[in-house]
Amino acid sequence: MKTDMFKLDELNRREFVASAAKACLGVGLMPMAGSYIHNSVSALTPGSRPAKARYVIYLNMTGAMSHLDTFGTNPDAPDIQGPTKSIATSADGVFLSENLPETAKHMHNAAIIKTMSTSQGAHEQASYLMHTSYLKRGTIAHPTFGSWVSKLSGSINTTIPMNVQIGANPAGAGFLESKHGPLPIGNPSAGLANSKAADYLDESRFGGRLALAQKMNASYLNQYDQKQVRAYSDLYKDAIKLMRSEDLKAFDITQEPEQMHELYGKSNFGQGCLLARRLVENQVRYVEVSRGGWDTHDNNFEAVAENCMDIDKALSALLLDLEMRGLLKETMVVLTSEFGRTPKINPRDGRDHWPYGFTAFLAGGGIKGGTVYGKMDKVGRNPEEGKFVDPASLNATIAHSLGLPLNDVQYSPSGRPFTVAHEGSPLFDVLA
Amino acid sequence: MGWLQEIKLYIFLFLFAFPCLGNTDFRTFTTSSGQGFTGKVVSYDGQIFWFQGKDKNLYPIPFKQMSANDQKYLIDAASGKKIPKGDARKLLVTGKNTTEGSPPVPTENEAKEETDVSVTPKPKAKQEFRPGSFFAYKPVGLGQDPSLAVESVSVLPEAGEPIDFTKHVLPIMEDRCFSCHNAPYDKNGRTIHPKAGLRLDTHEWVMKGNLDDIVVEAGNVADSYLYEVVTLDEDDDMFMPPKGGPLSPEQIDVLKRWIEEGAKPSAGGDGTADMSKGISFHDHIFPLIEEKCLDCHSEPYVKNGRTIHPKAGLRLDTYESVIKGNLDGIIVEKGNAEESTLYAVVTLDEDDPEIMPPKGEPLTEDEIKMLKQWIEEGAKENPTDTFEKPKVENVVLQPATGDKKESIIDLLSKRLNSPSKPQIQAAQKSGALVSLLSTKHSMLRAEFSSGPNLIKDDAIGALTGIKNNISHLDLSRTSITDNVLSEVKKFNNLTWLNLKNTQVTDRGIQNIVKLPYLSYLNLVSSKVTDQCIDSLAKMKNLKEVYFWNSEVTENGVKRLRTALPDSKILF
Repeated sequence: MKTDMFKLDELNRREFVASAAKACLGVGLMPMAGSYIHNSVSALTPGSRPAKARYVIYLNMTGAMSHLDTFGTNPDAPDIQGPTKSIATSADGVFLSENLPETAKHMHNAAIIKTMSTSQGAHEQASYLMHTSYLKRGTIAHPTFGSWVSKLSGSINTTIPMNVQIGANPAGAGFLESKHGPLPIGNPSAGLANSKAADYLDESRFGGRLALAQKMNASYLNQYDQKQVRAYSDLYKDAIKLMRSEDLKAFDITQEPEQMHELYGKSNFGQGCLLARRLVENQVRYVEVSRGGWDTHDNNFEAVAENCMDIDKALSALLLDLEMRGLLKETMVVLTSEFGRTPKINPRDGRDHWPYGFTAFLAGGGIKGGTVYGKMDKVGRNPEEGKFVDPASLNATIAHSLGLPLNDVQYSPSGRPFTVAHEGSPLFDVLA
Repeated sequence: MGWLQEIKLYIFLFLFAFPCLGNTDFRTFTTSSGQGFTGKVVSYDGQIFWFQGKDKNLYPIPFKQMSANDQKYLIDAASGKKIPKGDARKLLVTGKNTTEGSPPVPTENEAKEETDVSVTPKPKAKQEFRPGSFFAYKPVGLGQDPSLAVESVSVLPEAGEPIDFTKHVLPIMEDRCFSCHNAPYDKNGRTIHPKAGLRLDTHEWVMKGNLDDIVVEAGNVADSYLYEVVTLDEDDDMFMPPKGGPLSPEQIDVLKRWIEEGAKPSAGGDGTADMSKGISFHDHIFPLIEEKCLDCHSEPYVKNGRTIHPKAGLRLDTYESVIKGNLDGIIVEKGNAEESTLYAVVTLDEDDPEIMPPKGEPLTEDEIKMLKQWIEEGAKENPTDTFEKPKVENVVLQPATGDKKESIIDLLSKRLNSPSKPQIQAAQKSGALVSLLSTKHSMLRAEFSSGPNLIKDDAIGALTGIKNNISHLDLSRTSITDNVLSEVKKFNNLTWLNLKNTQVTDRGIQNIVKLPYLSYLNLVSSKVTDQCIDSLAKMKNLKEVYFWNSEVTENGVKRLRTALPDSKILF
């Protein structure tokens, strides 16, 4: 289970079918969950100020990234730092680990929250909390942040989904309509799976089949003219629209020149970031790219250095590429993980789970560049400056930049109220 | 410390002159918490009993703190008149005057009297109030600075001095007439109108009179009703003011002379400004504002049950509010008319959508000149106020940030009305997504996101109906050509233009050079070359230009960076 979730990024066929069915067909554990439609939702930014960011690329380091060896180095505390050195960045007084030399050149566009904390110490629960702002409960499936974005902000490009998940797929739309759930993409190089018509199926035969399907559905649709039933036929329409759309090219990174692939790095994560940029260029609101391999209980320093080569290349390429295209200003890039790793180095030269003072890296749209929020003490347990920031507040910070209504209440089918960032409040220190 | 010394004195007197008060014996009292105390009860005052200890000192102890037994004893003592009522410290003093040593066993009445006598209140000190405080009890006109109202004590003219309305007459009105004859005001949710429909708070109103007639006939005292009512017999029904006694003969004389001299306003009181001594806000600027601006920029009021807020959140009804500006910042840059928004908006071209006032005649040249002079003099409330012109420093321009741009579009937003839903729907027929930047914003973003390759030049036509409201226009990835930009150049309030991945060339760029607020221009993967640099160099508001993957060379970018040193230019 653990290896499935956190070591492999790519979904196998069975996983893909399961998650696609959940996302697209609304077939989940709670088949009735998508039925409650709340119509007070405004797709507009509330208040008098326009949103600062329009798109989010969320880089999820699954397995818990060692914050001390990446974005949260503490040069004052060599005891917990181990062999990892700090390097200066393009922002005055901001330091990163030596593992991230390229990202350091973009620090003037980015902020780091150094006092993230979570109440969960196990991967799945913590990841759930990071994504949904709520604790995992047996009684309800909460929507992921991307699903909230899709629900609360109107779509810009109506032919492609607003919420795309590249790599591992932790959760879906929860009780929101299933169309808000993430569209899963297992392998970024393969593009959107199963989105082409079969070769033998020409236009007329395809049309005939659709007509037949509609005919067979007609009496059922008449009898049960409900939103949820209609949603199934809407889904066909959407799928066909997508199949024929020019926008499908957004998913096809083979259209990028070779240098672009090189720039991002040929790893799955690098190519995922490249795809994320393509999607944002096509006005997909929320893209999450996940990268596993961070659960470094053993041999932490070598593993982190190796992972960092990948993410440093991809992240810096992403920031550069967005900037060159004039997109960085309206795209927020977030890089974080479900929790951090222990300041104490264990006998196997590894670091274990540590929910205190891990880091969130935020760059681009709406972010006050070159800022660091908070500082952890020498043992990495409590904040020396600033306060602990919980996952809900991180989500509130992102939501605020996107101009989402933090107090817009969505009700679960059982009538319980939920909001996009639970009780989190935006951390204005890192916002422009 | 004074009272403490007093007490010591009382105790001293008590010790020597009156060894005991009341008719009780020493005993041991216990409190409800079990503490013991030896003494005798000497008086009671409400729930407080006064005890005298063996050390002859007095101790006040609340009744409630005593144990049940003691409470019973105390009730007996009090109801049996064994102890007098009142503060023991004071009783000791009065005892000296009245009871001459005999242990007093006063009746209830006597005790009361005694208390009363003993607590003779000090004569109240004459209350002096801070000028303008609520208790100063002086009616203050609406929109008027209370401190001004209090300070404006009526000044009597010197012999031979001509009467000045503001200086001499208005203070009398303010003192004696304003409580009934002022501008309507709101009290407990009801609007209180001036009595008899007569307002005496400005020269204009005084001269206007009420629905019956005018009340001042310039130059003719006998026909001026205002003069008549203050000179009637005091018991006449129409005698004014009805309360507070007649006006003093000097005040009546001031009114008389003012009417005789022609009932003129103060120099500069109604736009016929005497500007020789400098421009005053109240005499020169406010009448102008009142005429041109207060329809939209006065304090919030209720109309048909809805609160009407001042437009753009900007109030101009007092000096303070003019100086304060609105959420976007100040509108008057003291000493610098050119930098002052207030001056800028009234000097725009007449067909400019942002010109103020939006309806009616624009300001005359004289009025603009006066406004300019006022600002240049430091935008002072009174010409006599001092103003130091800020030293001109080498202003370091901030690099392009989101704030500057936003303040422009927020400002634009406040000047424009939001487009209606049908207007937006009509604009969307072209395939554009048109949305307000936020719920309370009137500026729009128009973008062709879904199936952009199908968008041709004619699509822009649907947007022209709301062109002034469009601040963000995204034409990226569409099949448009240069021709579109000859339409786009009419989108006056455009701040953000995205032409990424289009066939736009230098020829098209020439069209948009005159867009006044354009700050973001995306030409990534377009067909522009170095030839567009000269056009773009004229656009001083440009903060961000993106040329990546276009034909623009490093050389061209260098030239543009020289022309626009504060802008972010990427290629």
